[in-house]
Amino acid sequence: MSLVSGPGRGGMTDLPEELRLFVDKHVSYIQSLDTRKDELEYWLTEHLRLNGLYWGLTALHLLGHPDALPRHEVVDFVLSCMHESGGFGAAPGHDAHMLYTVSGVQILATLDAFDDLEARVKSGRQRIGQYIADLQDPESGTFAGDEWQEKDTRFLYGALNALSLLGLLHLVNVDKAVEHVQSCANFDGGYGTSPGAESHAGQVFTCLGALTITGRLDLVDKDKLGAWLSERQLKNGGLNGRPEKKEDVCYSWWVLSSLAMLNKVHWIDGKKLASFILHCQDPELGGFADRPGDMVDVFHTVFGIAGLSLLKFPGLAEVDPVYCMPRVVTKRCLGQ
Amino acid sequence: MASHGITRVADSTVRSVESRQRELQQIAAYKDLVDIVNTKVAERWYTIEVLALVTKLLNENPEYYTIWNHRRRILGSLLSESLSGAPDSQKQKQPAEDLINSDLQLTFGLLRKFPKCYWIWNHRHWILQKAESLLDVTTARRLWLGELQLVSKMLHSDSRNFHAWNYRRFVVTQLERIPVSATPLPDATPSKQSLAESEFEYTTKMIKTNLSNFSAWHNRSRLIPRLLDEREADIATRRKMLDDELALICTAVNTDPFDQSIWYYHQFLMSTLSPDCPRQSRLALDLSNQDRQRYYEHEMEYIREILEDEEDCKWIYEALLHCASSYLDIDGGTKTFTTVDMRSWLDALKRLDPLRKGRWDELSRSLNL
Repeated sequence: MSLVSGPGRGGMTDLPEELRLFVDKHVSYIQSLDTRKDELEYWLTEHLRLNGLYWGLTALHLLGHPDALPRHEVVDFVLSCMHESGGFGAAPGHDAHMLYTVSGVQILATLDAFDDLEARVKSGRQRIGQYIADLQDPESGTFAGDEWQEKDTRFLYGALNALSLLGLLHLVNVDKAVEHVQSCANFDGGYGTSPGAESHAGQVFTCLGALTITGRLDLVDKDKLGAWLSERQLKNGGLNGRPEKKEDVCYSWWVLSSLAMLNKVHWIDGKKLASFILHCQDPELGGFADRPGDMVDVFHTVFGIAGLSLLKFPGLAEVDPVYCMPRVVTKRCLGQ
Repeated sequence: MASHGITRVADSTVRSVESRQRELQQIAAYKDLVDIVNTKVAERWYTIEVLALVTKLLNENPEYYTIWNHRRRILGSLLSESLSGAPDSQKQKQPAEDLINSDLQLTFGLLRKFPKCYWIWNHRHWILQKAESLLDVTTARRLWLGELQLVSKMLHSDSRNFHAWNYRRFVVTQLERIPVSATPLPDATPSKQSLAESEFEYTTKMIKTNLSNFSAWHNRSRLIPRLLDEREADIATRRKMLDDELALICTAVNTDPFDQSIWYYHQFLMSTLSPDCPRQSRLALDLSNQDRQRYYEHEMEYIREILEDEEDCKWIYEALLHCASSYLDIDGGTKTFTTVDMRSWLDALKRLDPLRKGRWDELSRSLNL
């Protein structure tokens, strides 16, 4: 799966009056990504390959084309990224890291492939769970990304996301993790990367996600945070990530999913947001860009489509706002 | 990450034969470099020569996190060789300080080009912690002080870069942790120094340059309560600080009432007045409900004055409603405003801010308006 930008450019032709989602174009765009080995960008983005596969696969499932990528090839690739330690790297030969381990687990969950994992890697689930659990800092409750100890609420969320899908949350100190999330809260109701850091929509998503997974939304000042999140919507309908910043399609996900976790999607104008997202797609070559007229890529493609799914755009499968995965998948994994 | 804000200039599917050929050559050269680095590291060739190849590769692709890990593996080995007395005729030794300095240079250059790349910030963090564990206190302190300058440069080019702000807070924590001097100081001189005062001044400077810098306002909201504690401020000094900050933000509101950053700081100050505000976030510690009432009245009066010139500014109505509900929370009554006023502010919000209609409808229900 390549993360190479383009070839398309978002919103370059005038869309018909009634805004449409170009499903088939997006499907072929995602299918074409791994064929671009003659572009330098393909090689320069190898460190995102497993994330890219998760983004592409999730987009395809939401678009109603779950079989558009060959299942066995995807499973083979995912397992080829797994290390002895139980962690996953971005691609074969890349070091293990939380970010890719989470993507690996999400892909296996989406493909209902935990049994394939067990069949091919002895105690596979347990090993992945242990790799993640060992990255928790017993002092603060937060998580490191890998052995080099960078810490961030992104990794804490990722850990809880993957462990809950694997049914292994008991391997970590959940209360300590929740305490850490609490320590990242700010007066505006939002959360930062670490205690003292400025509220940021991406971090709000990770912290709210962590609190939802652990059943601790009671700790959130919902009105205050909902208000802050709703102010991310700008006149053109798009959402930004912090006060006085520009809109970007990826925040259609970070902000909207957070509002969904708070049951406050109706606090912004969904119609205007949907129209903004749709203006960022390339109607000819497929894919979504951050803003109309920019290069498309698979990262903005999945978050644009997932945002549309939260807005109940017709024809899309329901997305889980906590996991950014099809709701049927998380229901199955979480036994709901 | 992915491509943010990159405008497409030409269709890359239509490339000339020459440019295709050139790209294929670039790919081959890049893959060769990747292969050689990975092979050497797998064979544990932790040498200056391999380090140079790693540098070359990172300059081509600073997002390749595994290569940063390789760099740390090599440096870990070179640094311990450099500090061990054992002679090793096979290898050329480099002084630890040189190795550290060259990594600081490398990451500085890369950060200027890729200011939002997590892995570069992370490596800089690592090399400095390594330096501190290997060098004497004075040198380590000098290095961390240099970091404050670096981060000021980064914030000069992008005053909202949240990586840089995070790094700034981290550097400050390090400087506050390391003793000021390696030798014991005369009695009563603290060996560690808080930077809360100078950091507070820094936020003032940043805000004066650009009122819309919420990152600076945010940091200020974090620094002030700490500053007051460290000053061991008495009741009057604390009140004065609160009044000064309110005066500052009111001037800012008057300058640009449409700027969110300013209103959020105003919200912060107002939140510190609440009886529910935790001790560690408060400015004034001795507020009675009467005092609170006076503050709310004063704010509402001031904001209503601005309203006269800026009838279409939704933030004004929001702030008025905020103040009004805080006022009602402490049973202030409706001496300075009526429910009719509150209803008219809410109506203005619905009219001026249709995007958030759902929120205003819910607010009207919760306020019984």
